[in-house]
Amino acid sequence: MEATETVRDRDRDRHRSPEATPGVICSELDIVYTVFGARKKATTTEGEQPWLERFLRQRRQVDTGNVRKVHAVKGVSFVARHGEAVGIIGRNGSGKSTLLRAIAGLIPPSGGRAWAAGRPALLGVNAVLLTGLTGSRNVMIGGLALGLSPREVRARYDDIVEFSGIGDFVDLPMSAYSSGMGARLRFAISTAATPDILMIDEALATGDAEFQARSRERIAEIREQAGTVFLVSHSNAAIRESCDRVLWMDQGRLIMDGPTEDVVSAYEASHRKGGR
Amino acid sequence: MSSVSTEPEILSPTETLVDVTSMPTPPPLSPEECAELARSAGLSELGVRPHRRHYLREIWEFRHLVWHLSSAQAYATNQNNHLGQLWAVINPLLLVGSYYLIFGLLLKTRGGTENYIAFLTVGIFVFGYSASAIIAGARAVTANIGLVRALRFPRAILPMSVTLTQLLVSLPAFGVLLVMIPLTGEPFSWHWLLFGPALVLQTVINLGIAFFLARIVNAARDTANLVPVVIRLARYVSGVFFSITHYAGHGLVSMLLLYQPLAVTMTIGREALMDQYPLTWSSWAAAGIWAVVLGAGGLVFFWRGEGRYGSD
Repeated sequence: MEATETVRDRDRDRHRSPEATPGVICSELDIVYTVFGARKKATTTEGEQPWLERFLRQRRQVDTGNVRKVHAVKGVSFVARHGEAVGIIGRNGSGKSTLLRAIAGLIPPSGGRAWAAGRPALLGVNAVLLTGLTGSRNVMIGGLALGLSPREVRARYDDIVEFSGIGDFVDLPMSAYSSGMGARLRFAISTAATPDILMIDEALATGDAEFQARSRERIAEIREQAGTVFLVSHSNAAIRESCDRVLWMDQGRLIMDGPTEDVVSAYEASHRKGGR
Repeated sequence: MSSVSTEPEILSPTETLVDVTSMPTPPPLSPEECAELARSAGLSELGVRPHRRHYLREIWEFRHLVWHLSSAQAYATNQNNHLGQLWAVINPLLLVGSYYLIFGLLLKTRGGTENYIAFLTVGIFVFGYSASAIIAGARAVTANIGLVRALRFPRAILPMSVTLTQLLVSLPAFGVLLVMIPLTGEPFSWHWLLFGPALVLQTVINLGIAFFLARIVNAARDTANLVPVVIRLARYVSGVFFSITHYAGHGLVSMLLLYQPLAVTMTIGREALMDQYPLTWSSWAAAGIWAVVLGAGGLVFFWRGEGRYGSD
């Protein structure tokens, strides 16, 4: 417990230290979203219940029918400072990506509050560019949506295409791209604007080794320009390499927040204890 | 939100993480401390509707995005077949042909019109633009939910770009219209220049309706299924292929049919292009009033939902 005490003290200091300005603040953030087309099949045990009980139970459930509410993030609070690279780890479905989207200002909070500096850029494997349009159209639209002017996008166009390494494919619709090419183009677009807050959702896992090295360099550059970087990944190695602080999410809750090594070790230990 | 926290878990609870609970995270700041910290650092709150003036400025800053989104998507509309952009011209011509066959030759609804082909062509093309803009506009937010969840921009951009996309898609049809009108025997006139302003008024009206519907459909998406039904009904009562005053007279019902926004846009289009219909101030004033009321009202209505788009 000694070690935990010092972690806690250091974290408290970081929350309160005046020199590093906050980039993102979350206070008891709740995210509930609605899913359509999710009819729950009646299980056999339900079928054996008396009809009255079944009736009452159905009345109680808000999510009967094919609409369901998913409580993806529950009461998460943290403060991230400028220049920090924060990893978010946890199992599939633990709410990592939803949390990322919420602090990017893309999913409105259902409860609690969140604040962010400037305009965040979210970069995810799932981030939808317009797949029916060509790469070059997407570069322009993505750049404009990140707040660049058309002239600025044109000025950076060659750099973006060069960085993405997709070459002549830039003139083909994105539906013709491999998943790796799409991810690389997204990364190149998202980092073209040097956002105040960069959020990366598993993107580094898709590129080849050379691209991964280049994107790590780019992340370091953004951090040097006093931005905040969030990285969601299932690769503990990638988290260890790029992050100095880690949030561990499980079933929508933030269960640990601290220096990378402490949290990742605890996370790995939980796998072993869990008997996987 | 307390009602929500009692919802059943969708994730099956797995093994408990005993080790971790004994290592608590540092106690977070209280909500008040967070708000104070955010205020002193000048952070902006997420998921909160911006001030009206700020919103307008943001839309202005993103005007290039509207244009690039619209032009790209208009171009993509007819890309996935061999004749490509030619379909933008072929489709409306086929439509005119079939309507002429049914209404002009079989049902003979040409009463009160001197140049039925011109009457029908203006009606079909003008109404067709409104119909496609409203149907697409109603789904402006829900159909672009991927974009909404990936990028932060004022969401009013979406109905705007969807409407502009439909205008761009309809432009070839309006080009065909301007070629066809003299071929049907209409004399050239300076009035034709008014077709431009008529199109602008129609676009603002369409945009206003799209603003209203986009927010409603985002909040209750089943309503999107009603929009095409209402549009189809409107197609039959708005005077696309028959003259309202000829068949409905000049009573109250006729007035209501004549001055509803979708009929007014066709009336001013015909007044601009057809010799039989002289310019009337009442039609143009009605179109102008609809444009202001629906355009401004729709924007305010849509803005009031800003901050909630993307939650479903």
